Amino acid sequence: MKPSSKSGLFFLLFPALAIYLFAVVAPFFGTLGLSFFRWDGYKSPTWAALDNYARAFKDQVFQSTFVHVLVYILVTLGVEVLFGLILAGYISSHKRTAFLRISLFIPVMLPSIVIAVLWSAIYNSDYGILNSMLANVGLANLQHIWLGDTKTALLSICVVSGWIYSGFFMAIFVAAFSRLPSEVIESAALDGAGTYQIFRKIKVPMIQQSTSVAILLCITGGVQGFDLFYVMTNGGPYNTTEVPTTYLVKTVFANGEIGYGSALAIVISMVGLFAALGFRNWQNRKEEELEY
Amino acid sequence: MKSIKRLSSALIYLYALAALLPLVWMFLSAFKSDGQISQNPLGLPTHFDISVFRESWSDGGLGLYAINSFIVTFATTVIVLFTSSMAGFALSRLKFRGNVLIRGVFILGLLLPVQAYFIAQNQIFDHLHLKDTRLSLIIPYTAMGLPLAIWLVKTYIDSIPKELFEAARIDGASDIQTYRTLMLPIIRPALVNVIIFTALGAWNEFLLAILYIQNESLKTLPAGLLTYSSRYETNYQLLFAALTMVTLPMVVLYVAFNKQITRGLTQGSLKG
Repeated sequence: MKPSSKSGLFFLLFPALAIYLFAVVAPFFGTLGLSFFRWDGYKSPTWAALDNYARAFKDQVFQSTFVHVLVYILVTLGVEVLFGLILAGYISSHKRTAFLRISLFIPVMLPSIVIAVLWSAIYNSDYGILNSMLANVGLANLQHIWLGDTKTALLSICVVSGWIYSGFFMAIFVAAFSRLPSEVIESAALDGAGTYQIFRKIKVPMIQQSTSVAILLCITGGVQGFDLFYVMTNGGPYNTTEVPTTYLVKTVFANGEIGYGSALAIVISMVGLFAALGFRNWQNRKEEELEY
Repeated sequence: MKSIKRLSSALIYLYALAALLPLVWMFLSAFKSDGQISQNPLGLPTHFDISVFRESWSDGGLGLYAINSFIVTFATTVIVLFTSSMAGFALSRLKFRGNVLIRGVFILGLLLPVQAYFIAQNQIFDHLHLKDTRLSLIIPYTAMGLPLAIWLVKTYIDSIPKELFEAARIDGASDIQTYRTLMLPIIRPALVNVIIFTALGAWNEFLLAILYIQNESLKTLPAGLLTYSSRYETNYQLLFAALTMVTLPMVVLYVAFNKQITRGLTQGSLKG
């Protein structure tokens, strides 16, 4: 359909486009531009060509943030997808599951700051319940200063993320299971397949697309992860939980290195983008292979 | 067979209870004195005194943060609702030069994380003296919500038979009239999803909230809670009272609208 009038078309498109260009597109190109300058935010910026990028590739703390985020993604991926699938499998083959569906999804709704402060309290060595529960069951030797110990800090944050998003993935998979044609499952049951077999051999393979989307979310969400890390450890102890975004915020807002920070921002965004695209490509290729 | 089934049910419910434990602990601790909390973290409260909630709401400033969050969230949601439905309608139904380009620019927004643009955004807002105003949150929250909102509205309108719109045109309706009288009522289901993920996104956003607002009286809940939690770091009871007060309304909201919210949030995340 042709627009009834030019001014009408303009009126429909202009507000969204103006806000979006002003607050996302222009700042994106602005950040890209800033990444080629040395700038502390006060003196006038000086041209740095690719120096900031060269520095980023030599910056060992920055490199280590990607290792941490990779560990974080792999651990949370395992926990969230696995628990999500098991819970969804249970819910989709049982009645009266409202309690499970509701209680496990609640963390997804909450502001991450609430969760971060709550779990910092749980891990607290003075009054946290984790250490006192361990003591109560005779495992006092397992007590840690969970967020202050270089060995446990990163994994402790992974647990929190798992706690939030298992319920989220559960919801995605419940929706996917409910869309499966019931004839397939019924006929498998008639052929004598058990609940577990149906789950493992039919239901899970048939929702592969949803699983891919979930993994994709885990990757992109992981690279962008900020709130939990910032509040619970802010990168410490000894940078062991430093992730790209916490390091980025420190570089720009604590050290005032706007040019270098912009280069880091572009690198982080590109890594996230390529990780997501790479995973998609790999999935598509796998699907093609399966067709033969 | 029966016993395996019982065992798996028991395990699942045990897991669910364990997952709820942090929230239950938070709730109960709000009724315990600081001494009780630190000496016996697992103990139950001895009496239920709600005056601590009043203290945290007014003295702690939680009430103010909540009002700020409400204003920012409400404004963001209303603006996203109108601008995205208008743009989604134009991009779905109207043929004009640049349609594909504009669509592409919005799809780019689905892929760009906030890290890709917040540094220059901060500079721009600084220059325009937008920082420490509510607009410094409403504008980026709106912009961040738009790509997905437009995408959802557009795909929803794509699925409506185009004869409907052509009929309206033959009856002499202009595009804006069609949008107002025909479009808005039809796309209500898509708009419900837009409301849910936009509102929750704005309500919970943390990074920009702490970067752009330093003025205590304008802080939203996430940023305010951060200040609050460092101010009352050793005042455990007040800390738990605040967390409980932020959590409970959301739990009530979710229990009441769990189907819509789950759908809105899962759809909202399936971008890209």
